Amino acid sequence: MSEYDEIRACLVEMKDLSALMIDLSFSSVMYNSEDIAEEVYLLEEKMDDLTLKVKRLTLRAAKGEEDPESLLSIIDLADINERISDAAYGIADIILRDIEPHPIIKEIMEDTEEELGRATVKSGSVLIGKSLAQLKLPSKIGTRILAIKRGDRYIYNPGKEDTVEEGDVLIAVSSDMDKLRKLAGEEVEEEE
Amino acid sequence: MEEWDEVEVPDNVKEIFVDMKNTAELMVDLAYSAVLFREKEIAEEVLELEEYLDVLNYHLMVRSVLSARNLRDAERITSILQMAHSIDEISNAAADLAKMVLEEKLHPLVTEVILESEETIGKVVVSPESMLVGKTLDALDLSTNTGVWVVAIRRGKRWLFDPDEDTKVMPGDIIIGRGTRTALDYLKEIARGIIKVMPNE
Repeated sequence: MSEYDEIRACLVEMKDLSALMIDLSFSSVMYNSEDIAEEVYLLEEKMDDLTLKVKRLTLRAAKGEEDPESLLSIIDLADINERISDAAYGIADIILRDIEPHPIIKEIMEDTEEELGRATVKSGSVLIGKSLAQLKLPSKIGTRILAIKRGDRYIYNPGKEDTVEEGDVLIAVSSDMDKLRKLAGEEVEEEE
Repeated sequence: MEEWDEVEVPDNVKEIFVDMKNTAELMVDLAYSAVLFREKEIAEEVLELEEYLDVLNYHLMVRSVLSARNLRDAERITSILQMAHSIDEISNAAADLAKMVLEEKLHPLVTEVILESEETIGKVVVSPESMLVGKTLDALDLSTNTGVWVVAIRRGKRWLFDPDEDTKVMPGDIIIGRGTRTALDYLKEIARGIIKVMPNE
């Protein structure tokens, strides 16, 4: 793999992770969850490593460049994503420092355009036994699964091959959480 | 530019916070759109929003401080202030991304990164035959039905940033949206008139 391929792969991962971290950090506060906050902390460390890696690779690539300054935007992009992840960590840190989240935060997270929430998969749900690849939740109902809580364990940023099981708690960001709750077999009050 | 002290700001902590979070998320989407399409006008909009967000943050701080009635209250309010601070940091990062477009110093690799990430940005051209034409964004609910979040619409020479729910889609509109590749491709087929109905109709 060339240096540029490696840099590109790192930056794509950084961009995806920083977006995930923001959503996770907000959910950690919303549910006062130390587990989720801890995950944000671990991801933040990973982001630091990736940032350093991108900088090193870029400097190495600069040696063979006629115009090394043209690579500056690559380092800037890494920095910007690092800063976004730092901001996410700042949010999760509220929980890690054991500060009691204000009750209106939960209402706020349900009121923003991208709603955060969770749904419990009940027996008989159509989701059970299906992989995320099969379900295609992002394009079908505008929903991204941030994490699956299975028993005491969390599966963060589940991949396409992960399947949904009965009793799973899906932590998601969605334009309409009630759609996911209905598919999970939860009873949902009809709004009007 | 408008005078910021005349700008209307929601009048309670909750609404200001919701506005801040939505604005910061929009800024990140717009900043990546500006980078991807090398659109200075979008980048300028991000910088305007950054100023608006600063105003919101200031109002939020004032109102939060005012609302504390006792020590426990005050402690809980620090959680809101910390979150607002982080949102402000995110918006600063988005603004710096937008500045890269204005300074014209983008390496092609930066574009590739945006295109290859899980959630990417796309341009969708609305043909006159599309079922989207004449319907409001509210009625279409594209984020739920297709997984695409509308970031902006290009109409003729004009940009509609963060178009509101009553906006009707017109033939020739160029929708800038954020979503997975699959979601964006799906909306493209609807916009071209190849797919005639929305999934939930």
